[in-house]
Amino acid sequence: MKVSYLELPRQFKDEALWQEIKKVFESCQFILGPEVKEFETAFAKLCGTRFALGLNSGTDAIFLALKALGVGPGDEVITVPNSFVATTGAIVAVGTRPVFVDVGPDYNIDVTLIEAAITPKTKAIVPVHLTGNPADMFEIMTIAKKHSLYVVEDAAQSVMATINGRQVGSFGDAGCFSLHPLKNLNVGGDGGALTTDSEDLYRKVKLLRNHGLKNRDEIEFFGYNSRLDTIQAIIALHGLKRLREVTEKRIANAMLYDRELKGMEDFVILPPRKTDRRQVFHTYVIQVQDREKLISFLKKHGVETKVHYPIPIHLQRPCQKLGYKRGDFPVCEKQAEEILSLPMHQYLEKEQLDYVIDRIKKFYNRR
Amino acid sequence: MRVRYSYLEEQFKDFENIFKKIAEVVKSGDYTLGKAVREFEENFAALIGTRFAIGVNSGTDALFLSLKAIGIGSGDEVITTPNTFIATVGAIVASGARPVFVDITDEFVINSDLIEGAITPRTRAIMPVHYAGVPADMDKIMAIAHRHGLPVVEDSCQAISAAVNGKNAGTFGVAGAFSLHPLKNLNVWGDSGVIVTDSEAIRDRMILLRNHGLKIRDEVEIFGYNSRLDSIQAVVGNHLIKDIDWITETRIKWAHKFDKVLSELSEFITIPKRRPNKRYVHHLYMFMAKDRNHLLDFLIEKGIEAKVHYPIPLHLQRCSAHLGYKEGDFPVVEAQAKSIITLPVHQHLKEEEVNYMIEKIKEFYNV
Repeated sequence: MKVSYLELPRQFKDEALWQEIKKVFESCQFILGPEVKEFETAFAKLCGTRFALGLNSGTDAIFLALKALGVGPGDEVITVPNSFVATTGAIVAVGTRPVFVDVGPDYNIDVTLIEAAITPKTKAIVPVHLTGNPADMFEIMTIAKKHSLYVVEDAAQSVMATINGRQVGSFGDAGCFSLHPLKNLNVGGDGGALTTDSEDLYRKVKLLRNHGLKNRDEIEFFGYNSRLDTIQAIIALHGLKRLREVTEKRIANAMLYDRELKGMEDFVILPPRKTDRRQVFHTYVIQVQDREKLISFLKKHGVETKVHYPIPIHLQRPCQKLGYKRGDFPVCEKQAEEILSLPMHQYLEKEQLDYVIDRIKKFYNRR
Repeated sequence: MRVRYSYLEEQFKDFENIFKKIAEVVKSGDYTLGKAVREFEENFAALIGTRFAIGVNSGTDALFLSLKAIGIGSGDEVITTPNTFIATVGAIVASGARPVFVDITDEFVINSDLIEGAITPRTRAIMPVHYAGVPADMDKIMAIAHRHGLPVVEDSCQAISAAVNGKNAGTFGVAGAFSLHPLKNLNVWGDSGVIVTDSEAIRDRMILLRNHGLKIRDEVEIFGYNSRLDSIQAVVGNHLIKDIDWITETRIKWAHKFDKVLSELSEFITIPKRRPNKRYVHHLYMFMAKDRNHLLDFLIEKGIEAKVHYPIPLHLQRCSAHLGYKEGDFPVVEAQAKSIITLPVHQHLKEEEVNYMIEKIKEFYNV
């Protein structure tokens, strides 16, 4: 049996979607056409925020949020070393220094370590809701309030994740989402979205994404070009209609994995599943013993797995000059050696999941 | 009669043909930096005549990343012109550098005689703009750049296939930046751009910068950005690049016709100088007109979508306030801003539409 990590071609083999894309040729408004606004309205509603903006990427969402909040050279921004590099990249791109804080067993920022990382230069916290699992936002917001820090949520992997029913991206000053093809809500290329309740932030980012243009001929301030393509907005609108179903299927798949893997604590560690939150399983990440051998074994049996990510950001080359070294973030470093992402998407069938579990059990039982 | 400025509906009547090609990309799941992008880059480099082309998210990003790739940043100055689309100056500001403006010539491009007067010890690059499809005086600019040891990044966003002495715009400097925005001569279905260069070092740097600095999936070489040409846009680009000679020649044909007839109205209309060693590709057909605002209103009333590119020069925009420029600093550009007008000049115009525009202009001036 083959269990692919991804099933993108299946998702886009949808005649109804192509019919919807064709609408763009009626007006040929490829840039900021009416569907972008339509997507923004629908996305804000989904996230429970007053505003949403369609952007070029999730990376740009973080970059523009920090820019609009006035975070820049000389400032420090607190984040985690285990994320896709875009989080730190966006922080560096605004000219600030990323300050890392270690993570907890849920792979998210360890809130008990944040205050020790705050200096007089700290301007913002960028928590990452990694794997689709919300970070401890209530605690983070309390710390941020106490120290007057901005919070920009990296929700790139976490659309529809919640804590006590409240959507990620609605806690901080801004929520940053990715619509990259590999995300739960995805488009046919790069795309991103920013959510906020602040009208001021909304207005600023709206100008920043479009060269600072107030109207065709007048420029309010210097900006960037970071617009969600109309065509991608149409694809996202189409995806929004199915997102609830996609999310539920992913959760159901994860629950099945969880149930079966729970009994294997000698070999497999599952992250905690806190009852107050809905995890949306962008990735299904566990910690395993003897990872490299397990990966090869699964591969041999047709099961594609991945590692998100084998090298923590603080140990990547460009962080050398920031002064970080091995041993600085022991939890993250240990996890990097053990984490494994099993196939996780809405097209997985029960027999495929059973097969993956069966192979994992076989791998550990043989020994 | 109605003469539309935008011709996209006409141009993309055959969108179904492009859809078939996009369907192939979709089938492969290859949405990000895949085969279609590589093919487009090869096609584009061959068209322009450079060793390399790199597909990015926009013409703006092409300019920004070119500056970043050659190490431009905070404290540096970059020389350019105040009559361009905001993105040129926006990219300079985004890189952290200060834009230094130089006035223009009677053909809307940087006045090379004034460049040396603007060079200071902080000058790090010259960014000439091949405005409206008019190539700048690249021989003179390159001689100045050489004398002062300054790199040249060409803003070729509006000038695909424009040339000086048979050499294409974009091939003179260390890098040339192109836009594939829907309104450009070579266009796609959203935001996209390309950088051309002969330098392997710049190419390598650009490939990292556009994709988060990722050397491979798991290793980050430098902090970068997310600025990738979408595969589906590359498919559109590959489809249209075959037509670029026809597109360019048709625009030149209509421009010659305008030139011939309008030059007879020299009492009211000034056509920019046409130099025999330059190939003008007429992204915009611009001239200087007496009583411009009334002419503009008259043409619009007659169904002709004339425009002004642009009524407010960049040094007088609000965003430039902190740069310390004032009215009177660049008399040529300021005078032109009051008299320039742009006529539709695209490849889908019909002979009778061109004749109609000429007729209405004559009617306005009573000739």
